[in-house]
Amino acid sequence: MCQTCGCSLNADVAREGVEEQRGRSMVIDVLQDLLAANDRVALHNREHFDEHGVLAINLMSSPGAGKTALLEATIAALGERYRIAVIEGDLETDNDARRIRALGVPALQITTGTACHLDAQLVHRALHDLPLSGLDLLFIENVGNLVCPASFDLGQHRNVTLLSVTEGDDKPAKYPVMFRACDLVVLSKTDLLGVLDDFDPERAAAALRALGRDTPMIQTAARRVPALAPLAELAGAADDRTAIRGACCANADGRDSWGLTHVPGRAGTRRCSAGQPMDRDRGRRDSHSGINRTDR
Amino acid sequence: MHELSVCQALLRQVNDIAMDSGAGAVEHITIEAGPLSGVEPDLLVRAFEVLRASRRATAQASLSIESPAVIIRCTHCRKESPTAPNRLVCPLCGDFRTRVMTGDELRLRRVALRIP
Repeated sequence: MCQTCGCSLNADVAREGVEEQRGRSMVIDVLQDLLAANDRVALHNREHFDEHGVLAINLMSSPGAGKTALLEATIAALGERYRIAVIEGDLETDNDARRIRALGVPALQITTGTACHLDAQLVHRALHDLPLSGLDLLFIENVGNLVCPASFDLGQHRNVTLLSVTEGDDKPAKYPVMFRACDLVVLSKTDLLGVLDDFDPERAAAALRALGRDTPMIQTAARRVPALAPLAELAGAADDRTAIRGACCANADGRDSWGLTHVPGRAGTRRCSAGQPMDRDRGRRDSHSGINRTDR
Repeated sequence: MHELSVCQALLRQVNDIAMDSGAGAVEHITIEAGPLSGVEPDLLVRAFEVLRASRRATAQASLSIESPAVIIRCTHCRKESPTAPNRLVCPLCGDFRTRVMTGDELRLRRVALRIP
């Protein structure tokens, strides 16, 4: 599965050599990803999504950045065009799932108790209660946290990270693992920019770019209808979801990108700037320890 | 604190290796956790101290964590440079198209076992 961490050298454990030491001690060199078990389940989830033609998007942010509000706005704008379902992750309460269900969209709440992130096994269990047949888009709203969710592949096809303008424009510099993992950054609550003098979208973009990424960043204010256009574009990926699922634009640095932002609706036929064909195996990326480790 | 989850996964893996090898106990575990792995080594050590007793094979084991420095390779000038985890553009030519060569590892490296 993984071409980089060494676990592909052997189906189980790559043992480079067994060395007898000190008579009765034995040292085994192992090269195995610590989250290999999670990644196996994530791969299984992805196969489920692919089998049913569902585009799965993992939505991450700090608490209160507006993930549920973004989903509500997305459902309001696109719920008639696409069959949407949502998996909600929270430590407690099913408040978010109830908000989604109120819009007529199936929502399944995972309460994690003390766990600060969703993992592939939690999502897999949820899938047993959420029929994928007849769905176009599945949003997985992760637990609000800019640290832990970034380390766990859930089987999603794309990661979207929200950054609300009340949080500070240096968040990508403070949380590089999270912001390296995402395929799209959504600046939320931008209607507040007028009263905030300490958030500069350009600085946020620069901090994101400093991570060696050309991750697109869009601005939204989910409570303002005119600001929904980028969201329509986002979910418009469902039109081309088969292509998006496999859509890895193998740029010169091996980084994939959202087809929808650069060339909407044509991801399936697009060739990347380096002239390499689309990698149809995007869904089986070398998720060596989490999300979207495509940069090696 | 996803270090608890990571530690549980680590102990499962090590336990499986110990069982497969017919070892009685695990003496020492070495892992790699780079600055871009998303895991805080100190927290992982603390989680390990709490959780190692959950399995007989690892109850007396010690843990060391290697943290390889972040080194990037520029796809433009093709040079490698050490850098900070949140400064991944090429420090030599300024190009942002870089690859992380080391520094994002999160893997089990080595296990020392005692044969009964």
